[in-house]
Amino acid sequence: MPIAWATAWRTWQMTRRAYPWTYAVGTVLPAALTIALAHLGFHVIGGGAVGDDFAAGSGTTAYLAYIVVGTTAFHFAVRLILWSAKALITEQRQGTLGALLIAPAGRLPYLLGFTGFAVLSSVLEFLTLGLVVAALGITVPVSSVPGALLGALALIAAVFALSVGLGGLMIAAGEAHISQNTVFIMLGLVGGFTFPRDYLPEPVRWFAELLPTTSAMDVLHGSFTGGQSLPELLPRLAVCAALTCAHLFLGLTCLPRAEARAVERTY
Amino acid sequence: MTMTTAIEVRGLRKDFPVREKGILGPRTLKRAVDGLDLDIPRGRVTGLLGLNGAGKTTTIKILATLLRPSAGTVRIDGLDAVADARAVRRRINLIAGGERMVYTRMTGRENLWYFGQLYDVPKADLRRRTGELLDLVGLSGAADTMVERYSRGMTQRLAIARGLVNRPDYLLLDEPTLGLDAPIARDLRRVVADLAAHDGTGVLLTSHYLAEVEELCGHVYVISAGRHLAQGSPAELKAATGSHRTVRLTVTDPTERTRAAADAFGATRETLPDGGELITLRHPGDMAGPLTAAVFEAGGSIGGLEIAEASLEDAILTLAERGEAGLAGPGSGRPDATTIRPGAATAPPEAATAPPEAATVPPGAGTAPSEAAAAGVKGGTP
Repeated sequence: MPIAWATAWRTWQMTRRAYPWTYAVGTVLPAALTIALAHLGFHVIGGGAVGDDFAAGSGTTAYLAYIVVGTTAFHFAVRLILWSAKALITEQRQGTLGALLIAPAGRLPYLLGFTGFAVLSSVLEFLTLGLVVAALGITVPVSSVPGALLGALALIAAVFALSVGLGGLMIAAGEAHISQNTVFIMLGLVGGFTFPRDYLPEPVRWFAELLPTTSAMDVLHGSFTGGQSLPELLPRLAVCAALTCAHLFLGLTCLPRAEARAVERTY
Repeated sequence: MTMTTAIEVRGLRKDFPVREKGILGPRTLKRAVDGLDLDIPRGRVTGLLGLNGAGKTTTIKILATLLRPSAGTVRIDGLDAVADARAVRRRINLIAGGERMVYTRMTGRENLWYFGQLYDVPKADLRRRTGELLDLVGLSGAADTMVERYSRGMTQRLAIARGLVNRPDYLLLDEPTLGLDAPIARDLRRVVADLAAHDGTGVLLTSHYLAEVEELCGHVYVISAGRHLAQGSPAELKAATGSHRTVRLTVTDPTERTRAAADAFGATRETLPDGGELITLRHPGDMAGPLTAAVFEAGGSIGGLEIAEASLEDAILTLAERGEAGLAGPGSGRPDATTIRPGAATAPPEAATAPPEAATVPPGAGTAPSEAAAAGVKGGTP
């Protein structure tokens, strides 16, 4: 995978030169504040107890641990999308998309390289969240370490698959803000990150099932606070894998058209 | 399908959808390229000329696989530019003067390394080639400086090196010397000429610097509004369009006889502040000698003689004007394209030494059938 490696290295160098390390503070802060506010609300408003409906929907009464897993995963997903989905439109804005498109390199290894860099940098950033969680005295149980690792990988793959299609949409439309924020809001509302999907109307729950991130979050929540073992998690992992493949196939199929549209739009 | 070592373009058409009013307005198609046929063999620099909006950049982007044609075919060494795009991309590269095409937060060396990876250049070759290319474009001293600290000319030179990183069989150059200092532009022209002559690279060049085209191109296509107008060598185009040499003769003591001599050649006369007269004659042949002799024999004193060679710019402007006239004319869906036969540039000796009557053909009368025939102009599509 020389192209993936070269792209990851290139992006690492460019990012290191463009942003000071303190930039990571701005990345982690929203997640830290979400957890801190949940902590405050849970103890001050909720009296340190969750309702029966939450426990039934989430399979746990460890509300804060549920929030820590969901918030971390959500902000991690947002970071990945910001890097991977915006890779091509960033090339377009800096005047290098043409040079990239006329090269014989495949787009998949290029995007994988970008995502590889994004995963590495985001993991380093989000490890610092552990300090916030520890300072608030929140303990996060893990019922299945392999399940948690597979769930994390599934989430990365699911976000990557969504990013390929979203990236194509961005360059075709020549716009990033509306499309990325729409996806962020949609994921946050229906993806089962910070509250159980049982609270959602039935049609929205079915729509959520079409997103590979939903099943990935089921695996993550199940392996941390859900008390599920790996065999119990496998069906949702399989659903996630199938949806990831479907989204990736769709995204990669549409990408050449989106690239052509992007060039035509600026002729 | 026959295998050829050339870029062959047949019936190329490109329509762009445009909306006249906002994003919800009715969508119409704007035709940028309309039925182009081109042949770009290896080992030759081929020019593609036209005024702004003629369709040059669109054509080059289609050849570079950046745009898909609406109709027609582009074959590169027998490979279809749409169906076999990835294989085609290994054989071509594009250098566009108006676009940056390099990463500003990387050094020049890093940029070439990264693009070398995208073109799958072997590691050992890439290290050597990077050094050679940086040397070639005069950036060896700034190889490890970030591009954002480069001047515009340096960035453009790096973009040129990027375009050569895969040693392309065909190089597409869209205004490659835009913004370059004269010495660097001269060096680039030398490189392009060497690539074609020694490496057998097929080069397609568009440039607004027509002297550059004249110096480099063995064959030139002229297009207007996406349509083919003419083709031939620069000399052939100049000859065929009646792009004339201009002779300016200053007569210090003009008389009726000198004026009559000048008028016999169809020259124009202009009185100078000092009482002298400036005689100007535009003609495809070398009329400086006959005109000077005639004025001298008529008793005139020659105060100065200036000969301006015919320029390719004049030829292009003439062709473009003809093309526009053809487009504007009633029922003229397509202007007559012109093919200049090889050898037409070496206009018949009798044209050069034409009698004064022949010189009375007014400039721009190149469309006259008799002159067109004499210059080897053939109507119809190529």
